[in-house]
Amino acid sequence: MNPWIAIGALAVVGIGIPIGMMAVSSLLRPSVPEQGKSATYESGEIPTGTARIQFNIQYYMVALLFVVFDIETVLIFPWTVIYRSALEQGVSLGAVLTPMLVFVGILVVGLLWAWRNGAVEWVKSPRATRRKTERQS
Amino acid sequence: MTPLQQGPILLPERIANLIGLGDGLLGQVVGGLIAAFLIANIMLAMTAVAGPWAKRKITAAFTDRIAVNRIGPFGLFIIIADAVRLLSKELIVPEGVDRPAWDLAPIILPASALLGFAVIPMGSGIQLADPETGLVFAFAVASIASLSLVMGGYASNNKYSLMGGLRAVAQNIAYEIPLIVTAASVVIFTGTLQMSEIVAVQREALISITPALTIPQWFAFVNPFAFVLFLVANMAEVGRNPFDIPEAPTEIVAGYQTEYSSVYFVLFYLGEFLHIFLGGALIATLFLGGPAAPIAALEVIPGFVWFLIKIWAVFLLTQWARSAIPRVRIDQLLDIGWKGMLVLSFANLVLTAIIVGVIV
Repeated sequence: MNPWIAIGALAVVGIGIPIGMMAVSSLLRPSVPEQGKSATYESGEIPTGTARIQFNIQYYMVALLFVVFDIETVLIFPWTVIYRSALEQGVSLGAVLTPMLVFVGILVVGLLWAWRNGAVEWVKSPRATRRKTERQS
Repeated sequence: MTPLQQGPILLPERIANLIGLGDGLLGQVVGGLIAAFLIANIMLAMTAVAGPWAKRKITAAFTDRIAVNRIGPFGLFIIIADAVRLLSKELIVPEGVDRPAWDLAPIILPASALLGFAVIPMGSGIQLADPETGLVFAFAVASIASLSLVMGGYASNNKYSLMGGLRAVAQNIAYEIPLIVTAASVVIFTGTLQMSEIVAVQREALISITPALTIPQWFAFVNPFAFVLFLVANMAEVGRNPFDIPEAPTEIVAGYQTEYSSVYFVLFYLGEFLHIFLGGALIATLFLGGPAAPIAALEVIPGFVWFLIKIWAVFLLTQWARSAIPRVRIDQLLDIGWKGMLVLSFANLVLTAIIVGVIV
């Protein structure tokens, strides 16, 4: 049996069920379009502007770090799979463990460097920071 | 080359044999579709029980209330009433939504969660597929969910939705790595990514008092530190309290699902519950012996029942946390993720590798 045929079947079913529910709902539900109903929700006020604005993504550096560590996890998995069997076949512990320790070590040093430079901080808005300093002084 | 290892008979094969289609391509496709439909419906039935009924009852019990009790025994028929009610609500399409993305987001979220169940061994021979890369596959498809959240958040043209979508991504990227690295520390023990093998390894005895009373080698007992790390990271990954800032009703209304109504809202809600159960299924498979009974004497109860007990236990834990633990702030959340969980999970990985190396 090829497992990917069954997984593909589940993908078809998994997409089909939401679409089926949407179809059933479109038969059942009423449609009463009214002015004002379709305004976006902004705590009951008339919305000001759109949400398509330039915004501070806050975690740009964090996202870059994520890419680095995500690739690292991909590279760690093959090592974890062969680790035990390699040891059982008599390869010495140092030969199996050291390369991965060095690899993880380099990345941890990278994380510490990013940490020290404030890359994993949530960037506070200048206004919030100013308010805080005003309160302190 | 050695021939491929023959695992247990999987559900599609059994169904194909049952309806007499055999091992051919047709049998695989038809058996696969029927099995997939069965598994998807098992999970949908569980979310149907969990969403409109169990969640209300559990929260009510925590806050000393009664909750639904009018329709049917223990108010159970509220499930049917709610299903009809929610499906027959009007769909309000807000102004300025980005149409294809806004419609696709509620399809992707439940689909990604359902796809994750393909590789989970549910006991009693209920497993759709058993590829050699099962564990990685489950993580890969589960993380598609954040795509749906950011799509829904950005396409809604609502500021709350936008913030919810951004927060969801910040949270998912912060906790994905601790989750996967902790799972890697389990793989060091098992030496395989195949789900059925991971379960089989845990069937061995850890401590044997008498033949009937043997504590199995569940990784929750072997490595409780990794178990706790995985539980916490999983709670953040599915966005439950104390890590529910993508929705944070007191701050940003409902986050990415603010502008969704009717069946679209149902699909988001369904997808979230499916993700909680998928997280529970991964915890059960990796750390709680999958569908195995805790002691040999209890093996008269079928494996599927044990599997359900375990994932409902994880669901109860998330609901407990929901009632008991206050929400963390977004900057605290990133601090916990990047400065706490990530470092701890790498420490766990290295320590596990050293301990396994010394023992073997």
